[in-house]
Amino acid sequence: MRPLTWALALVLLLTGCGIPRDPDGTLERVQSSGVLRAAASPAEGSVAVDGDDVTGPEVELVEGFAESLGAEVEWHVMGEEPAVDAMERGEVDLLVGGLTDQSPYAPKVGMTRPYAESVDHGEATKHVMAVPMGENAMQSALERYLDGAAR
Amino acid sequence: MSGRTTHFGATSLPPEQRAALHRAKRLQYVGLAYLTSCVVVVYLVMGSSQAMKVAWIEDLLSLIPPIAFLLAAHRVRLPPSPAHPYGRHRAIGTAHLAAAVALLAMGLFLVYDSGSGLIAGDHPPIGTMQVLGHTVWSGWLMIAAMVYTGVGPVILGRLKQPLARTLHDKVLLADADMNKADWMTAGAAILGILGIGLGLWWADGVAAMVIATSIVKDGWTQVKGATDDLGDTEAKTVDDSAVHPLVDEVLAVTRRTSWVGKVAVRLRDMGHVFHAEVFVVPVEGVTAAQCDDLASEIAGLDWKLDDVVVAPVAELPDGVRTQQRGLEPGE
Repeated sequence: MRPLTWALALVLLLTGCGIPRDPDGTLERVQSSGVLRAAASPAEGSVAVDGDDVTGPEVELVEGFAESLGAEVEWHVMGEEPAVDAMERGEVDLLVGGLTDQSPYAPKVGMTRPYAESVDHGEATKHVMAVPMGENAMQSALERYLDGAAR
Repeated sequence: MSGRTTHFGATSLPPEQRAALHRAKRLQYVGLAYLTSCVVVVYLVMGSSQAMKVAWIEDLLSLIPPIAFLLAAHRVRLPPSPAHPYGRHRAIGTAHLAAAVALLAMGLFLVYDSGSGLIAGDHPPIGTMQVLGHTVWSGWLMIAAMVYTGVGPVILGRLKQPLARTLHDKVLLADADMNKADWMTAGAAILGILGIGLGLWWADGVAAMVIATSIVKDGWTQVKGATDDLGDTEAKTVDDSAVHPLVDEVLAVTRRTSWVGKVAVRLRDMGHVFHAEVFVVPVEGVTAAQCDDLASEIAGLDWKLDDVVVAPVAELPDGVRTQQRGLEPGE
C-alpha cells in the first residue's frame, strides 16, 4: 500500500502544479471571468428549452459545475451541429444536449468520459458532454465534477 | 523447442554459438511475453489519445521480429536434402526482410501520424480516468504505462546485440534495432504527454517526428541489407556496414596455396552461414584431394564457412573478386 500512497501523493503534488493545462486557457478564463458559456441543444430527457428557460438533468449538472468553479452559466440555445461549430471557433466552453459516446462529433470536440448510463429500448446508452478539443484542464475539471456528482 | 540447437543445416555450431543461440531464443520468449503484456497495458490506458494509439500499434509491430526470429531459427536447423540442396538458411533472409519491413512501416506510420496531426493543428484531448475511486488525469497513467513499456526494450535490445554479432544473425540485430526504436518512442511519448499537460498541444507531434525520422532511417538500412542478401550481394558484416573480412581471408589463404595460379572468390550470405565459391586456375595439374584440402582449410577459417566449393577452371569467370580489398588497382 505504501508505494501506492507515495504515487498518489506525487500525482497530487504535480496536479497541484497545474497539470494538465489548457492550450487555449478555457478553464482559467471561466474562473477569472466568472462566466461559463454553455451551449444547450434540446434533447429529450437531457435538455428542455421553453423560451428563455433551459432545464433538465444535464442543465442542472452544468449549473452545479459552474458553481464549483465560482462561475455563472451563460446559456446559448442552438442545434447540435451549430453548437459544435461554435465550439470549434472557441465561442462556447461546454456543450450539452443528450450526447452519447457514439457521437459522430468526437473528432471535432473533446468528449468527456461517460458520466451516466441509461437503457433505452434494451440498448445501453452512455451519456457524455463536450468541451473544446484538447482543453484538457477544462475536460479534467468537468469529469472530476461529474464523478463527484454521480456519487 | 527441446534441447539446444547444435546445427544450422549441415553446419555444426561451435560451443560459443550454441550458447548464444540458446540465450537468444530464451530472450525472445521472455521478450514476447513482455511485449504482449505491454500491448494489453497500453490498450487499457490509451483512451482517445492519438499518441497512445500509435504507441500501441508500434507494440503490435514489434511482435513481428521476435516471431520471425523464432520461426527462422526453427527452420534453419533442418539439414540439406535433394529438395533443399542449400539447406534452409534463407529462412533468415526472409525473416530479416519481414523484420526490416516492420521497422520501416513503424517509422513511416509514425511520420505520417505525427506529421498530419501537426499540420492539422490537432489539440490532443487527454481527460481523466477513475482509479480506485480517485479521479486521475489519464496523462499520468499513460506516462506510467510508457515507463513500463520503455524499460524492457532498453534491456532486451542491449542483451540481443552481442548475441546477434556472435551468431551473425541479422534478424536478431534488426530486432534489437526495433527495441531501440521502442524505447525511444516511449521516451518521446512521455515528453509529448508532459508537453500536452503543460498546454503545449504540439509537443507530442514534434517529439514523435524527431524519433520517427531516425526509425525510418534504421528501417531503410535494414530493408536494403535484407534485399541485398536475398539478391546475393557479396557477404557483408552483420550490420551491413562493410564487406565481410572473410572475403579477404579466403582470398589470402587460397593465394598462399602452392598449386594455385590465378584465383577468384565469391561469398554470399545464406543467413548465418556463407556459401563460398573459389575458382582456381592451377599452375599445373591438380588432384581432387588437393582441392578438398584447400576447401577444408578455408572451412577451418570460421564456423560460418562450411559450404565451400573449390573449382579448378581454365579461365576465371568475369565479375568475381580476384584481389583483396585495398589491393585492387584503381580502388
